[in-house]
Amino acid sequence: MAVAAPPRKIIHIDMDAFYAAVEQRDHPELQGRPIAVGGSRERGVVATASYEARKFGVHSAMPSVTAKRKCPDLIFVKPRFEVYKAISLQLRAIFARFTPVIEPLSLDEAYLDVTGNLSGSASATAIAEAIRAKIRASTGLTASAGVSYNKFLAKLASDYRKPDGCFVIPPRLGPAFVATLPIRKFHGIGPATAAKMNGLGIDTGLDLRARSLLFLEHHFGKAGRYYYGVARAIDDRPVQADRIRKSIGAENTFLADLFSAADMRAALQPIIEKVWSCCAGSALRGRTVTLKVKYADFHQVTRSRTGTAPVATRDELAQVGLALLDSVLPLAKGVRLLGLTVSSLGDEAPESQRQLDLAL
Amino acid sequence: MAVQRISMKLTIERAALLRSLGHVQSVVERRTTIPILSNVLLRGAGGELALSATDLDLEIVETAPADVSRAGAVTAPAHTLYDIVRKLPDGCQVEIDSDGAGTLILRSGRSQFRLGSLAADDFPQLSDGNDGPSFRMMAADLRQMIDRTRFAISTEETRYYLNGIYLHAAKSKASGDELPVLRAVATDGHRLARVELPLPEGAANIPGVIVPRKAVAEIRKLIDEAADTIEISLSETKIRFAFDTVVLTSKLIDGSFPDYERVIPSGNDKVMEVGARLFANAVDRVATISTEKSRSIKLSLSPGSLVLSATSPEAGSATEELEVDYSAGNIEIGFNSRYLLDIMQQISGELARFTMADAASPTVVREVSDATALYVLMPMRV
Repeated sequence: MAVAAPPRKIIHIDMDAFYAAVEQRDHPELQGRPIAVGGSRERGVVATASYEARKFGVHSAMPSVTAKRKCPDLIFVKPRFEVYKAISLQLRAIFARFTPVIEPLSLDEAYLDVTGNLSGSASATAIAEAIRAKIRASTGLTASAGVSYNKFLAKLASDYRKPDGCFVIPPRLGPAFVATLPIRKFHGIGPATAAKMNGLGIDTGLDLRARSLLFLEHHFGKAGRYYYGVARAIDDRPVQADRIRKSIGAENTFLADLFSAADMRAALQPIIEKVWSCCAGSALRGRTVTLKVKYADFHQVTRSRTGTAPVATRDELAQVGLALLDSVLPLAKGVRLLGLTVSSLGDEAPESQRQLDLAL
Repeated sequence: MAVQRISMKLTIERAALLRSLGHVQSVVERRTTIPILSNVLLRGAGGELALSATDLDLEIVETAPADVSRAGAVTAPAHTLYDIVRKLPDGCQVEIDSDGAGTLILRSGRSQFRLGSLAADDFPQLSDGNDGPSFRMMAADLRQMIDRTRFAISTEETRYYLNGIYLHAAKSKASGDELPVLRAVATDGHRLARVELPLPEGAANIPGVIVPRKAVAEIRKLIDEAADTIEISLSETKIRFAFDTVVLTSKLIDGSFPDYERVIPSGNDKVMEVGARLFANAVDRVATISTEKSRSIKLSLSPGSLVLSATSPEAGSATEELEVDYSAGNIEIGFNSRYLLDIMQQISGELARFTMADAASPTVVREVSDATALYVLMPMRV
């Protein structure tokens, strides 16, 4: 082992109910009301719900029909990705005043490494508060911040005092913080993995820490190593500035395996929605669509299709995704995971140089 | 279970075998997961060798004269067989012999090849039963219909119903009279090509069919060697082209072609006539500058003059002025230069006529001296 480096200072900034907050900011009549940004159509899903809606149990990736049932007064608002993107650029500019090491995770979320920061301040907490104040002043929106010595803890921390809060996990408290945490709160452990862990008697960080690396790798494959580390509050992943995006994808592991074509199609909808909102938000468009199917026995297949032109609309993405799904039907065994990825990315053609379509 | 392989023996001239193999082997996919689809079916009987190849969507059968000493059928790897015959010396005789036990023996002069064979019984055939209408047309006419439309066929798999040429009978209302015509239409959603010819006898009741891209490509390759006329037969699901000793059968695209006539404008009032060659050359020159991605080029029209221009942030800019016959108001309109060149390539006459409305509506391009073809092109925003 090399000489221990001084602990890093990592900030995770996460906007509060970003899309919904922007809509409430720009449409005063929506303030204080339960709103959901996303499609209200039968197959639509909620992209972001306002805090008023969350009280009713509405959350992102929830089918719009379900959301409406949980909260009959829910107001659906069409997303305006250009606006979110513009604000996201404002946020980047604010981050850049404090550190060059910025890793954006999405439009509304980023990791900053402020170990050697530009502001001359030694306190990462002071920087996090300064960033939150600047965000509020220049966008009128609130952000939550998490401060710690690695990405895993910083992300946990930002969620801890949401909304409009800041939480710090100093190095000496890291392991203790993780120990008491229910494992479903761990970043990287979704509902399906959490259920599996619960089945193995792992309910908290402490339970996870009690398992050997061998045990975790046996049950969770490659991810086992990550779980082993984070159970000890160890996460060496660097904050990667200027990561060039090569693909946009999302996947879901299901609590119960899927067996029917209809269930598969329904399960793919929120994934399509998520991938498309990411494409729409980043102005990136891809020509290749890849479907990933992991069966109950962990055997995995991918099916992809590359078009001559980038996938330009949500419906087009859905059409290709569903066609790829058809190619793995009928199912011979249960499906535990579905994923969809768009790659061969390029910038969206500028509005000024767009080929017009015949009205066929 | 004993697989039955039917033995066969025949002798054929190398030139005749090479020619026929050359035609059928191009249907055979290089990569196929079904082994027998890599093979060509050889059937010898009554002084003829019939060769068939298929990819399950498309089948070509060709016959050639042969000296058949034992009638039968056998299959052999198509590309290997073609390569062998291609390398045999000119003018030689080729003997094909099969013992019915899984091997095909090919002898010519002092050469001998033993090729693995698969059971002829397993060779898939696009069932015939073609009881639909059939008609004859000139090979040259079919060639023209294909050439002037195929460039516009869509390659987008999600719109599979555009992945071919739509062939149908229609009434042309060109000059007041209603003239029955046979029409071929192709579009990729950005441009559309429509060619019509006087309706051949017997084609009045044909259903509208979409002929897939691969069938279009194969029949186009074969036409050049065809005699004068080609017989076309249609059924609900298949189209068959027959001429000389070749029969090409293809499945049709199972979908409905969109109502394309809606996108052919009739009220466009800005008319430009320009020398087709001059225009194409100018577009080609100016497009050198336009960005690789968009290929866009701008046409600026004022009475008597057309200025073509392109700019790109990386490469710079280009302009060229042409004298044209134009008397309507000033207009600026952008196009994909590749699409313009695709259309200009099909115009063999001297003058091309562009009929425009505005920079966001479809433009019609025609050949001034030939009314058979019409092209519709959507502009680009520039």
